[in-house]
Amino acid sequence: MYSEKVRKALKQRSIKVGDRVTVKKLGRRTEGLLMPQTGAGDPETLVLKLDSGYNVGIKFKDAGVEISKTRQPRTAKAEQDYELGKTSKSLLKLKFDTKNPAISIISTGGTIASRIDYETGGVTGQKSLSPKEFLHNVPELGNIVNVRSIERPFTKMSEDMEPNDWIEIAKVAAKRLNAGDRGVLITHGTDFLHFTAAALSFFLRDLTKPVVLVGAQRSSDRGSSDAGLNLICASHAAIGDIAEVGICMHGRINDDYCLFSRGTHVRKMNTQRRDAFRPINEYPLAHIWPDGKIKIKNHNHKKRDDKGKVKLDTSFEPKVAILKAYPGSDPSIIDYYVSKGYRGFVIEAGALGHVPTHGKGEWISTIKRHTAKGIPFITTSQCIYGRINPNVYTNLRILHHDAGAIPGEDMLSEVAYVKLGWVLGHKAAAKDPDRVREMMLTSYAGEITRRTLAGTFLY
Amino acid sequence: MAFDYKKIGLKCGLEIHQQLATRHKLFCGCSAAMQDREPVFSVTRRLRPVAGELGEVDAAAAYETLKNKTFRYFVYLNETCEVELDEEPPHPLNPEALEIALQVALMLNCEVPEEIQVMRKTVLDGSNTTGFQRTAIVGINGWIGTNFGKVGITNVSIEEDACQIMDKKVKGGTDFGLNRLGVPLVEIGTTANIPDPEEAREVAEKIGMILRSTGKVRRGIGTIRQDVNVSIRGGERVEIKGFQELRMIPKIIDKEIDRQQRLIAKKKQVSRDVRKALADGTTKFLRPLPGAARMYPETDVVPIEVTPGKLKELRKSLPKLITEKASSIEKLGLAPDLAKNIAKSPVLMELFQELSKLKNIKPAFLANVLVSYPRVLSKEYNVSDPGTITKGHLRSVFKALSGGRIGKGRVMELLAAAGQGKELKIEAGKDAGFGEAEVRRIVRDVIAANPQALSHSRPAQALMGLVMKEVRGRAPGSLVMKVLADEIKK
Repeated sequence: MYSEKVRKALKQRSIKVGDRVTVKKLGRRTEGLLMPQTGAGDPETLVLKLDSGYNVGIKFKDAGVEISKTRQPRTAKAEQDYELGKTSKSLLKLKFDTKNPAISIISTGGTIASRIDYETGGVTGQKSLSPKEFLHNVPELGNIVNVRSIERPFTKMSEDMEPNDWIEIAKVAAKRLNAGDRGVLITHGTDFLHFTAAALSFFLRDLTKPVVLVGAQRSSDRGSSDAGLNLICASHAAIGDIAEVGICMHGRINDDYCLFSRGTHVRKMNTQRRDAFRPINEYPLAHIWPDGKIKIKNHNHKKRDDKGKVKLDTSFEPKVAILKAYPGSDPSIIDYYVSKGYRGFVIEAGALGHVPTHGKGEWISTIKRHTAKGIPFITTSQCIYGRINPNVYTNLRILHHDAGAIPGEDMLSEVAYVKLGWVLGHKAAAKDPDRVREMMLTSYAGEITRRTLAGTFLY
Repeated sequence: MAFDYKKIGLKCGLEIHQQLATRHKLFCGCSAAMQDREPVFSVTRRLRPVAGELGEVDAAAAYETLKNKTFRYFVYLNETCEVELDEEPPHPLNPEALEIALQVALMLNCEVPEEIQVMRKTVLDGSNTTGFQRTAIVGINGWIGTNFGKVGITNVSIEEDACQIMDKKVKGGTDFGLNRLGVPLVEIGTTANIPDPEEAREVAEKIGMILRSTGKVRRGIGTIRQDVNVSIRGGERVEIKGFQELRMIPKIIDKEIDRQQRLIAKKKQVSRDVRKALADGTTKFLRPLPGAARMYPETDVVPIEVTPGKLKELRKSLPKLITEKASSIEKLGLAPDLAKNIAKSPVLMELFQELSKLKNIKPAFLANVLVSYPRVLSKEYNVSDPGTITKGHLRSVFKALSGGRIGKGRVMELLAAAGQGKELKIEAGKDAGFGEAEVRRIVRDVIAANPQALSHSRPAQALMGLVMKEVRGRAPGSLVMKVLADEIKK
């Protein structure tokens, strides 16, 4: 965004962003299209797109700058339109064959729907591409599915999502599934995608059809975007026979196949790579190729039967927190949260479930004080891979047997957090610590496995 | 073929790409040396059209994507990271590369933008893993002088080099090496109004000289690439890529004129193509010429401000042109070619300037040794790698020569010894130069062995050769001459 001074000067000369202008300064004359200033650049610097397509910046704040409108653009209008966020209407005619299996797409924002944001200079899903725009890049979808409805409940990057947004998505998904869609495909930001995946896993009960979450690590505005392969494979998943909530994204850094991983056993494991989403403590449900080949990797999943209606169970207690126990950490953070009305905690502990037990900074007495009042503590592991064990070491027993922490089995911290909020959202459990323990140790959406299979580590 | 260029309305322009000799690549910490030989693994990718975003399908982009190719990218350990693999966002633009590019822009009399914005230029032929090339303008509206007059420089850009094609014959795709991807390049574009092929060649030569004058550009095959665009009245702008030798420019232009004229004569449309230059100067179709609608901002790199202070500092320390340097040392009695050979190498130039200040060193001799020692050592002394000769070796040898401790004839011998890994011991042992006493002993021995020479009309001349053979360069000729004259008098 330009500074107030620049905007005023432009207004005086009735110059708008997108106009062709000539800027004269110190005897130099530069002609081009006036582009918006990104937030990353200097707000007093005019950005001109030269006829070559390049953008250059010219400082406006110094004295002796003249800017005037010149005759209309010679450069390609399409290019300018693109930068200004317009897409030509002719491109938005999406046609799907009604003979294909019907699905719906729920677009929520994220990199997959991102384009340049002139306020920050970065990419954003706030002023996102419409689903039609990013779907246009993947014409193959037309041969696979019939997208009969595109829902857009809101547009957010995943870091801006809140538990109420998960509920909103669940409602839209349930509505579409109960209206007869073969499955739903949810496009979503990736940073906290696995939280939404876990939430939907608990919220959508009696699921008989696939709910597939998909995102992109490279924005859809580049030829190398992973969005294409992800959307194609995800649409195969959405009409496939695995009736689970799951994430479908690149399996490797090759553009060859995607992993479809259960929503309660999947995590973003890399900040940047397209194969960032990995199944944790479990095999992926399937490998899916863009030609529609599906190789089941985990037979322990619900099969499609298309009968009955999906039920919504979206009661959620948002006053739960994940805390990390580590050398030097201060357990009084728990007291602070409790004073703020928090009602349950996931403690991300060391390995098998250890927290500082004996020294000055021990967590045991604080945890014990609160469990005595009925506040649940669930341990998960900072190791990410593996299972909590409450018995192997004395200190594990002190925490889980004496202080009353609930061992979180092989649940991911994020999954345990969402589950705890969901469990405490239920009236029956809210006031009954034993019921909370029982529910936390019951697998509702495949979040706790009985066996840890050796081949699942670093899959 | 001889054309009346004015009559046919010839207009040429040049685009020159030169790799910069930086330590790191343009947007990551990988080495830019391109030394890795064996790839460690490969990654398979596809590119997709981005029409929905570009708003309009770019001709070049559409053409390439229609082919629906698979690309295989080969990873080199020291020269590939996740940035080249399009798995990691770019790091900030390499300041070392930016500085060189700004120097070039200033040497080409360009205006430098106050804010430099990195752009993405859509490239869908697989040569960039991202589907675009990162590029930024660092200079516009420049010019250079030629014998024909001024030629405009439309832009100096800094950009990342593309992948190198390893094998085009892969089934359904192309194999690319990732080691070249991201190596910093400067791109220099001239105005497309050069009216004469010879002038085009001169412009290319001059730009090349200016680039080399920075001392910070890569040398060797493939490090500089020229494209020529050619149009004639009734034809179209056609870009010709892929030739290394500047002397080919006029021939390529003539052949392109001929090709366009034939098409026009047959009333056929000349299409806006990118064509590849072949060895005989003819060209072959590569792809349609990309339109301007393929450039959009690189959102992962923040714009870079170029302050007036920074520009002032750069202007003050602009490197001297090779031609200027050459004429300055020519004055010391060097032949023009020799002077140019010294001037075009920053290392040699520095050494020459340092060592030519020593007493009793003839600049021309010094220059000759500096330019020729690698060839002489490998050909005449069997030194397998003259690259092992250090500046230190050259300094020691020329200091010894300057101090009269050795004669000229010993220079190559000593360098050869150093090149064979022997320690340079000029002060002691058999490598030491002969003093006057030693020379006198040799002279007496030679006279004693050749008494008849004394009756020669010019005995000194008769004996000099024999004495020098014994001295073998270990004493300066002037000393030998003086002692010999002394001894003959006796």
